[in-house]
Amino acid sequence: MKLWYSYLKELKLSSKGFYFYIEIIMTLIILVLLLFVIPENYSPTEEEYLSLDLPKAVEEYYLDEMLEEDLDGKVEKVELELDDEVIVADLYETEGQEIYIIKDKEDLIGLTKADRPRIGALISMDSETGGIKYDYYIQGYESDRMKNLYRIINNENIEGIIADAEGIEVKELQVGYEQLNTRQNSVPALITFNGSLMGMFIIAAYIFLDKQEGVIKAYAVTASKVWHYLMSKVLTLVTVTIITTMMIVIPVMRTQPAYWALLILLITSAFFSSSLGLLISGFFDNMTQSFGVIYVFMMLFMLPAISYFIPSWSPGWMQAIPIYYLILAFKETILVNGDMQFVMLVSLGFLLGGGILFLLANNKFKKNLAI
Amino acid sequence: MIHVKDLNHSYNRDGKYAIKDVNFDVAEGEIFGFLGPSGAGKSTTQNILTGLLPLQEGEVTVAGYDIKHIKNEMFNKIGMSFEQSNVYSKMTAKENLDFYRRLFDVKTREPQELLDLVGLGDKGNIRAGEFSKGMKHRLTFARSMINNPSLWFLDEPTTGLDPSIAADIKDIVRMQNEKGVTVFLTTHNMYIADELCDRVAFIVDGDIKLIDSPRNLKLQYGEKLVEVEYFDNNSVVKKSFSIIDEKDKLSLKKVIDENEIQTMHTKEATLEEIFIKVTGRGLI
Repeated sequence: MKLWYSYLKELKLSSKGFYFYIEIIMTLIILVLLLFVIPENYSPTEEEYLSLDLPKAVEEYYLDEMLEEDLDGKVEKVELELDDEVIVADLYETEGQEIYIIKDKEDLIGLTKADRPRIGALISMDSETGGIKYDYYIQGYESDRMKNLYRIINNENIEGIIADAEGIEVKELQVGYEQLNTRQNSVPALITFNGSLMGMFIIAAYIFLDKQEGVIKAYAVTASKVWHYLMSKVLTLVTVTIITTMMIVIPVMRTQPAYWALLILLITSAFFSSSLGLLISGFFDNMTQSFGVIYVFMMLFMLPAISYFIPSWSPGWMQAIPIYYLILAFKETILVNGDMQFVMLVSLGFLLGGGILFLLANNKFKKNLAI
Repeated sequence: MIHVKDLNHSYNRDGKYAIKDVNFDVAEGEIFGFLGPSGAGKSTTQNILTGLLPLQEGEVTVAGYDIKHIKNEMFNKIGMSFEQSNVYSKMTAKENLDFYRRLFDVKTREPQELLDLVGLGDKGNIRAGEFSKGMKHRLTFARSMINNPSLWFLDEPTTGLDPSIAADIKDIVRMQNEKGVTVFLTTHNMYIADELCDRVAFIVDGDIKLIDSPRNLKLQYGEKLVEVEYFDNNSVVKKSFSIIDEKDKLSLKKVIDENEIQTMHTKEATLEEIFIKVTGRGLI
C-alpha cells in the first residue's frame, strides 16, 4: 500500500511538473512529424546529367527511347545556373529519375561539380571498338561497390548478368511478412527515443528535484522502504511512457500492432531505462553534475536509431548496445505477423537488466540518504 | 531510549573522523540537548541515529532497535524534524501531511490538528511552495509528529522563526515531553537548550567534552555573586557581592537594610559562557 500511495503521489507531482509537459510536447512533435511531414511512401528521385557525343542518328534514337519513358511524353526546356551563367538543358522525367541533357561537355562537368549529390555521364562512340562509350563523372566519395556498379552497368553482358541473377531461386523463410511503409517504419526508432531516452533523462531530473527539496531524507525516516520510493518513480515513468507511446502508435498504426506485446516491451524497456537513470542520479547531487554521463548514454543509445535509418551503417559493435535490440523488437510488435518470440526474449533481457540496475540504484541510495 | 557506545564515523573512511569515540545514553522521557558549533558533528551523530548514515564503528541502539541492522518498523516510533525544511513544494500543506501519514504502520494524527497546532490551520490548502521559510519550517516540524513518535529528533527547531512562533514551538516540545516523548534536540542555540533540556552534551570537533544538566553546569561553572543596584545619597550605585564570602554577605545585608534597592540578581553563567569555558570555542 505504501508503494501504491507513493506512486499516486508521484503521478500527482509529475502531472504538476515541468518535465511531464516536456514529454507531452515531444510526443506531439513526433506525432505531427509522423502524420504530416514523413510521407507514407518515400521514393527518392535520382538526378543525372548526360551529354551526348554521338552520331546524329544514334543520338536521335537514344533520345526517342528516353522520350518513351518520359512520364508526360514531352521534353521540357529548363534553365540551369552555373557560375552566373545560364545553361539551357532538356529535361526528361521518368519514374525515379530526372535526366538533364546538356549540350556541352564542359558544362556537364561544371554542373556535376557544383551540384554535389548528382552524377554526370558523357556518352560517346568508342573509336576502337565502334561501340558506345560511357564516361562517368562522380563526386569521389562514392563507395567501391557503387564505383564497381558503374563499371559493370554498361557491360555488354549486363543482360546475361541480370538473367543469371533472376535465375537464382529465392525461398522465403517467413511467409505473410509485410513491409512497413516509410511512415510506419519510422515509428520504432522514434518511440525508442521518446520512451527510453527521455525516460532516463526525466527520472534523473525528478530525483534531482527531490534532492534539492530534501524530501528523500524525509521519506527515509518513515516506515516505508527506500525501494518503494525508487519504484514509485519508475512506475510513474513507465506510466508516462505507455501513455506517450500510445499517443504516437495508435494514430499511426491503428489496429495493426500486437498491443499486448508492445505493452510488455514498453514496460520492461522503460523499467530498464528509468533504473539506469536512477543509478546515474545516485552518484550526483544535481543535473549539472550528471549531465556529462547522461549525455554520453543518450548519444550511445541514439546510435542504433541512426543505424536504423541508414541500413548501410551497422557496425558489429552496435549489437552490444541494448537499444539496438529494442528498436528491432518495437518493429516486430508493429509488423503484421511480427516475431513475438524475439519480442519476448528482448523484453526478458530488459527486465533482467533493469532489475540489476534497480538493485544497484537501491543500494547506492541507501548508502547516501543523508547526503 | 538511546544508547551510543564508542561511535566513530569517517565520511571518506580515511582515518579523518567527523565524530570520535562518542558515548552517551538518553533516558526515556528525557529532553537531551546536543550542543555544538557548526561542523562539530551534531548532524553526523543525528544522521547515524536516524539511519540516514550507515553505522561504521560502535554500538548504537535507538528505541530498542540495533542501528547496525536497522528495521523499518523502528521509524514508526521515531519523528524527525529537519533543520532545512523538506516538504513537497508542489503539494499543499494538507496533501504533504496526508501523504506522509500513509507511510507509517501506526495510528497517525489528523493533518488539520497538526496544522492548527503549529499555527497553519488556515493554510492547509495552500501549496507549500508558496509558504515563507518560517511556514515551511513549521510544516516540517508538524510532519515530524504525524506518527505520534515516542522518540523525537529535533534539528534546530526554532531556527529562522520569529520569537512568538519560536515560543509556541518550545511549548509544543514541552507538551509532547510531558506526554512522555523523549526528545533529542540538536542545536547551537544555547537559550532553547537551557530552557528545554534536562541534560546537554557539548560536542566540538566530533568529541563530546561533557554531559550534564544545565542546572549542574551553572552551579559548577557559574560565579556565585549577587548583583545589586541601590540608591545611595540620591545616586544609583551598582555593586556585586559574593554569596560565599562572609564579609560580603554582611555587606549585602547592610545594603539591603539601609538602602532602597532598585534591582537585585544572582549572577549565573549562561550555557554559552560555560560552553566557551569548557571547550575554548564559541557556539557559532
